Amino acid sequence: MSDLAAPTVAAEAQRDARAAREPYEFRLSHVPAYLALIVGAVISMSPFLYMVSTSLMTLGETINRRLLPRTPQWVNYRTAWSEADFALYFRNSVIITAVVIAGVLVTCTLAGYAFARIEFPGRDAIFMVLLATLMIPGTVTFLPNLLMVRGQVIPWGSWMNTLPALTVPFMSTAFIIFLFRQFFMTIPQELYDAARIDGAGHLRFLTSVVLPMSKPVVMTATLLTFVNSWNEFLWPLLVTTTPRWRPLGVGLYTFISEAGPETHLLMAGAVITILPVLLVYFLTQKQFTEGIATSGLKG
Amino acid sequence: MQTSTTVKRRPRVSASKRREWLTGYLFVLPSALIIGVFGLFPIAYAVYMSLHRWRVRKGAFVGLQNYESIFGDWWGALAFFGGLLMILGAHWLWTDAFRREEGTVPFVGRLLGALALLASGVSVSLGWRLMTAEGDRRFLAGLTRTVYYGFTAVPVQIALALVIATLLFQKLRGQELFRMLYFLPYVTPAVAAAAVFRSIFSPRPERPANTVLEWLGLPPQQWLFETRPVSRILFGGLLDRLGIELTGFWAGPSLALVTVIIFGVWTYTGYNAVIFLAGLGNIPKQLYEAAAIDGATRVQQFRHITVPLLSPVTFYLTVLGFIGTFQAFTHIYVMRSPATRDAIDTASVVIFDTFYGLNNFSLAAAQSVVLFLIILILTLMQNRFFGRRVVGV
Repeated sequence: MSDLAAPTVAAEAQRDARAAREPYEFRLSHVPAYLALIVGAVISMSPFLYMVSTSLMTLGETINRRLLPRTPQWVNYRTAWSEADFALYFRNSVIITAVVIAGVLVTCTLAGYAFARIEFPGRDAIFMVLLATLMIPGTVTFLPNLLMVRGQVIPWGSWMNTLPALTVPFMSTAFIIFLFRQFFMTIPQELYDAARIDGAGHLRFLTSVVLPMSKPVVMTATLLTFVNSWNEFLWPLLVTTTPRWRPLGVGLYTFISEAGPETHLLMAGAVITILPVLLVYFLTQKQFTEGIATSGLKG
Repeated sequence: MQTSTTVKRRPRVSASKRREWLTGYLFVLPSALIIGVFGLFPIAYAVYMSLHRWRVRKGAFVGLQNYESIFGDWWGALAFFGGLLMILGAHWLWTDAFRREEGTVPFVGRLLGALALLASGVSVSLGWRLMTAEGDRRFLAGLTRTVYYGFTAVPVQIALALVIATLLFQKLRGQELFRMLYFLPYVTPAVAAAAVFRSIFSPRPERPANTVLEWLGLPPQQWLFETRPVSRILFGGLLDRLGIELTGFWAGPSLALVTVIIFGVWTYTGYNAVIFLAGLGNIPKQLYEAAAIDGATRVQQFRHITVPLLSPVTFYLTVLGFIGTFQAFTHIYVMRSPATRDAIDTASVVIFDTFYGLNNFSLAAAQSVVLFLIILILTLMQNRFFGRRVVGV
């Protein structure tokens, strides 16, 4: 078989190159695959379709088994928006997410760089300990963390209902450090040697040479952090007892009981909560899915 | 950098090297502080809390009393956890303990392995029965629901994802569109999605889930409000006629819990498919070409090339899936309502309730430590069973 392999590889490469250039060719054998994929996609999308359609109905239409509203009731969005103070929650979510992303990018690029390119005693041990935290369930940490934020463990006063309580605990995660480390390890040593000759230290090298080369991984880290931060629920539920810093997710949760039987308003609220994530996702979906696929694989 | 060359007169470690070390530590410091304070320290503190009486304020040291109230019976706990660990031993007997040099395992190894597996099964179920008799029924029932959730949702979402990924991989038009649509549930905020599911799976007859049942000519269901087990709803009449009564664990999940499982599958299938798709892309095409020349059918190729070469990905997704389902919280919490009673309260929801509803901080801490230990054992098991069968890439 080994003597067959070489020409096969060559032929394969040629065929691949041709396939890349040739337009898609429809084959009858693809029909079942398409059917299965379309059915799956419709099932997968149906909650979204139901949500959007219901959010535009009148109250009467929601209890009358209609698939689509007769005339879209855009006013539902305005009603929901003002009834539940979504404006405040929305602003809070944006600020919280922005602060977390900034924090994560600073702490995790530094740590990822150190683990990849600086030698110091205990480096690998520290890295392994940090990685092990990925296995710790949030259900174990939330209670001690809550007492800590209330100032009952370390006497630094209560942080309840403040921006730091919602952001600081999320400002570094082992997974993002890992992502940066993997990427920084691929940067050739010669670049650093050259920078050193020019008198640059690690920090200068990181900010002026490494980071400009690292746009894809910075993008992946930003998107992952954005989604995680925007979707966080348990922690903000615990540390926001007043609406002051309550983010959208918790706001929507309290709105579920307020909206009661007014499903159309609840669905409008759900759309408001989901929309920013979907927008970011649609705009960046190629980097997004590819970043997750490759980063997930290396994990 | 210039100064470092002038002051290097220390005997062992040069000043420039020290500077390098210091830079390293300073770079790591912010992350180490945050993860240390909010990720690692809480575990030690949770253990500390679990050893005290602690209702809102800290009380006296009580030793293992909180754990005793969870397990009820120490022998039961010993039999249960010992049985779990014995499954690992059984696997070792089955595969490695008697392995001959040429790689075959003699009959005695297989026999002992099978016997050990049987013994561990008996031990686990016996231990469980002892624990539920005296222990914390709320939490133990929650654990059972967590097990139902994990052991149904994870296999289903991985199998579906593998099918979707293989279909997408055959260079169809619109591959990217499909990939994007399937991935969407994963990025959707769980609170919002769960609010939508609550409405879809409402017991009212005009809501989507019941409308679909009506199209199929089936009676409407209570869905999230249905606390009876699915086995009862589907086969109740048949079971009665046969005189079989399924109770406890064997009765299976309630319809309400199945709705939660459907949510889990809906969320993670697309994510798994995207990761599988990337894994398929990493398999060298020449392998399929060579197999085709040797006369292997598509099914054989799938069985002997795709499945083994994807096994690291499958392993990764299984571990991730179990960790995810065992600590799932948000969507379950949001789908809860008074009518659901405790039908969908998995272990993590029970822990939250012990703290939030009962204000028993120390018991909640002890419960969370137990859940953590179970996740740890489960991960060890998967590592033992699948970790080494995985083909390195």
